Amino acid sequence: MAPKTNGIGVQVEDTRICVVMVGLPARGKSYIAQKAQRYLKWLSIPAATFNVGSYRRNDSPHPSADFFDTNNAEGERKRRAAAEAAVYDLLKWFKNGGVVGILDATNSTKERRKWVLDWLTREGIEVIFVESRCDDEELIMANIRDVKTSSPDYKGQDPEKAAQDFRDRIRNYEKVYKSINADGDEDDLTYLKIMNVGKQVIINRIRDYLQSRIVYYLMNLHIRPRSVWLSRHGESMLNLDGRIGGDAGLSYRGEEYARKLPELVLESVGSDRPLTVWTSTLKRTILTARHLPQHYNQLQWKALDELDAGVCDGMTYQEISDMYPEDFQARDEDKYNYRYRGGESYRDVVIRLEPIIMELERSEDILIISHQAVIRCIYAYFMQKTQEESPWVPVPLHTLMKLTPRAYGTEVQTYKANIKAVSTWRGKGSTAKHEDPLPEGGV
Amino acid sequence: MDTLLTAEIAANAPRYRRKSSTFIDGIHDVSTDSNMAPAQLYSTMSGRLFHSGRIAIVMVGLPARGKTHICVSMARYLQWLGVKTRIFHLGDYRRATVGDGGQVPQDYFYPNATPASVMLRQKILKKCREDIYAWLNHENGQVAIYDAVNPTASGRRSLAKEFAKHDVQTLFLESYVDDEEILKENARNVKISSPDFHGMDPDEAASLYLKRIQTKIPVFETMQEEELNYVKMINAGRAFFYNNVSFNYLSHRIVFYLTNLHIKSRTTFFVRAGTATEEDSYKADAPLCEEGKAYAAKVTETLLRHREQERKVIADRSGSEPPVRPLTVWTSTRLRTIQTAEPLKELGYKVRQRSQMSQINPGVCEKLSERAIRALYPEEVERHELDPYHHRYPRAESYHDLAVRLEPIILELEREQNDLLIIAHESVLRVLYSYLMHCSTMDIPKLKFPRDEVIEIIPAAYQNEAKRIHIPGLDPRMIPGSPEDIRIPVPGPPSGQLSPIPGLSSPTEFTETNILTRPPEKVVNLAKEMVADKVADED
Repeated sequence: MAPKTNGIGVQVEDTRICVVMVGLPARGKSYIAQKAQRYLKWLSIPAATFNVGSYRRNDSPHPSADFFDTNNAEGERKRRAAAEAAVYDLLKWFKNGGVVGILDATNSTKERRKWVLDWLTREGIEVIFVESRCDDEELIMANIRDVKTSSPDYKGQDPEKAAQDFRDRIRNYEKVYKSINADGDEDDLTYLKIMNVGKQVIINRIRDYLQSRIVYYLMNLHIRPRSVWLSRHGESMLNLDGRIGGDAGLSYRGEEYARKLPELVLESVGSDRPLTVWTSTLKRTILTARHLPQHYNQLQWKALDELDAGVCDGMTYQEISDMYPEDFQARDEDKYNYRYRGGESYRDVVIRLEPIIMELERSEDILIISHQAVIRCIYAYFMQKTQEESPWVPVPLHTLMKLTPRAYGTEVQTYKANIKAVSTWRGKGSTAKHEDPLPEGGV
Repeated sequence: MDTLLTAEIAANAPRYRRKSSTFIDGIHDVSTDSNMAPAQLYSTMSGRLFHSGRIAIVMVGLPARGKTHICVSMARYLQWLGVKTRIFHLGDYRRATVGDGGQVPQDYFYPNATPASVMLRQKILKKCREDIYAWLNHENGQVAIYDAVNPTASGRRSLAKEFAKHDVQTLFLESYVDDEEILKENARNVKISSPDFHGMDPDEAASLYLKRIQTKIPVFETMQEEELNYVKMINAGRAFFYNNVSFNYLSHRIVFYLTNLHIKSRTTFFVRAGTATEEDSYKADAPLCEEGKAYAAKVTETLLRHREQERKVIADRSGSEPPVRPLTVWTSTRLRTIQTAEPLKELGYKVRQRSQMSQINPGVCEKLSERAIRALYPEEVERHELDPYHHRYPRAESYHDLAVRLEPIILELEREQNDLLIIAHESVLRVLYSYLMHCSTMDIPKLKFPRDEVIEIIPAAYQNEAKRIHIPGLDPRMIPGSPEDIRIPVPGPPSGQLSPIPGLSSPTEFTETNILTRPPEKVVNLAKEMVADKVADED
């Protein structure tokens, strides 16, 4: 297979990897799968999850626990058919350019794992098994109550009864469950085994950089509750003129926002527990952060600086369109990949933000004060926005956003400072200095 | 009492040398300044990072398990991240105690050793540990890597307890190898150049050496202590087992690094990009000019000829044809680096572009002469001269910013198994070179990569080697420190002859005297000497 190029000149790995989840139900497999997919897609690595449960659900929407008994021939046949359907679609997806596929199922027996492995290796796809093992009964029941009783399988049923039924369903799996390489005859597999939420971890036969990257990412995940707050800097002097980039100070209203920010943050956090504040190295974010409480730790990151507009830095959109009409049009056609002459593209920004995301995943409460393009990229990571959408997301000035990761996605709350500011959002094709975002698709 | 025991250990403390040249891998130097952290993300009052306290990484494993390679690589990476790290090889202390040519008693490692041997052991251990505490407590050290065999569970338990008493967290790192091939390979690589094995078949020598270890250290218990924090690296990274290591971020970082480490020996080459049509602009992504294209062809020719010669040397020495090692080429996404790789690409070599490898951003200094910069930003120039590594001109990147941006490249560099050619801007080469050769941050902005040289870095367990290969027949105008390089005033040589006149600072570099002071073309490194006394080393 010829190596694919990813956007403009950036060559992706020519490896294709399938992450095959292993583990009993209620071990957080879907959570891991969902996080990994989001991370990879954000890095522009085509990734998709194939959940065997949802294939099975098409066939038997509300099965009872004994459907999952391995002695139940009918149930066994249907579950096998669902797995086959999922693998079939997975392979089809790889043929169409997929790079990292995630097979979300219990894959709890050696036979099933071998079957999956054979199918995938025959197609030249590397397989990495990711097993989540947990024998802490309390953790398991907590997970069941939190997540599983809201599963489509139990729609409209009594939660306590549902939890009990689910526990019985797990027992049926436990009968046949075999942890990876428990017998020592699966030593050739590439796998990551996480036991009791990270108390012990085994990594076996990592074969390339992308695999090590995935493993490192998964090891940095934690499940302690936390939020991430995002804000742009206060309105800057250049914002007033509709000029992009630069390193200007705050306008009068921008300064007002900086003074209001501590109050806004306090309202959102709800207590005086300290946040860690990350700003860029540009004046406007540092000035915006300077009235925050003394006991907040502040760090300046070069990686949080605004997208570098190269030769267009400090110009208005009208000037850019006059001076570089072709560039202006090219940018509108593919804003994510367009790299300003001597500057950066959104794709470049995402690459330099990668260590920030890694730090964010392992950290607890963080407040980030940065710039429009950078916040769009971070927002896209948490909200799984596509490359077509993310560069156009409106991120208004003088607004604080709170993102809270949950098991199946991220919750967003916004807090308006009610301090007037110009809009820096720009619609496709427009050269206006300030215009209001289109009503659909907003933050 | 044995005269060995009366030897004053302190007087014979293991040799540490001062940094003498940027052409010598500085990983074992004692730093005299705090400017040793190319990619430190932030700084703290205590000098300790990642919200972690003081950590002792205690190595566990028999000789020939690659512990030294792991220690040195890990120290290199941690220091790069800004974590103050130092390796304490117990073997250095033992040698310092028994003196040159001295030997430890036969039963030194035995569980039922004689009281004299036990006392000797205790004394050596004590001295080493005192140094560790002194460094952690009084020199703001954060990670001490304690390189020893640590063969028994009981010994490790009491070690963890003792460190805890000093408020130091312990992370054990065991290198466990049961693959015969890897063992023999390790033994072959380092140990059998010893005169003991002279004239022996390498395989036979390796087996003999391994047998000796077994007699010498009869009891070794692999780690299973559930209450301890440990990472077990199995068969040189084929598998890892972690027990209780999620207690801090640094351990994750180390683990990620280790998963990318391999023990295959491969070479890294550095080459400058050719000259472009629009020399002094960062923003214009100009293509190569005609001379630039000719340069690309010359570089390719020189590099390939050099590789062929090296192969021939090995073939002549071993009498058999060694396999051709594959070569991968990395460039930045800048046109002139991509085009410099063009001749290699045409020959079928794999070329990959990495957007992180773009040159340092000059910010407001773009297209300004040195004189103009001095006139426009006198205060910035002053601050820059105080700290050329961390200072950033308005809108520019500092070398530090560049190093942080290059971190993923460092890991991929460790992961890469093929020989690697990196074609990039001088600023990028400086930073990558400084990782591999461990240069002080004060030196990094001044490192020179003239166009008429290919730099070759050959890895070794104890320290890396750097070679310079001359590219003959180049137009002298294109050789010096990049004309397209940012003219950020960099403090000149100690004599203070920094030319404030644009254009003059570069040409001085190819005057007669300068060529003479340039390091010799071949090996400029002492790795062999350094390794010499490690040959008979048993931990």
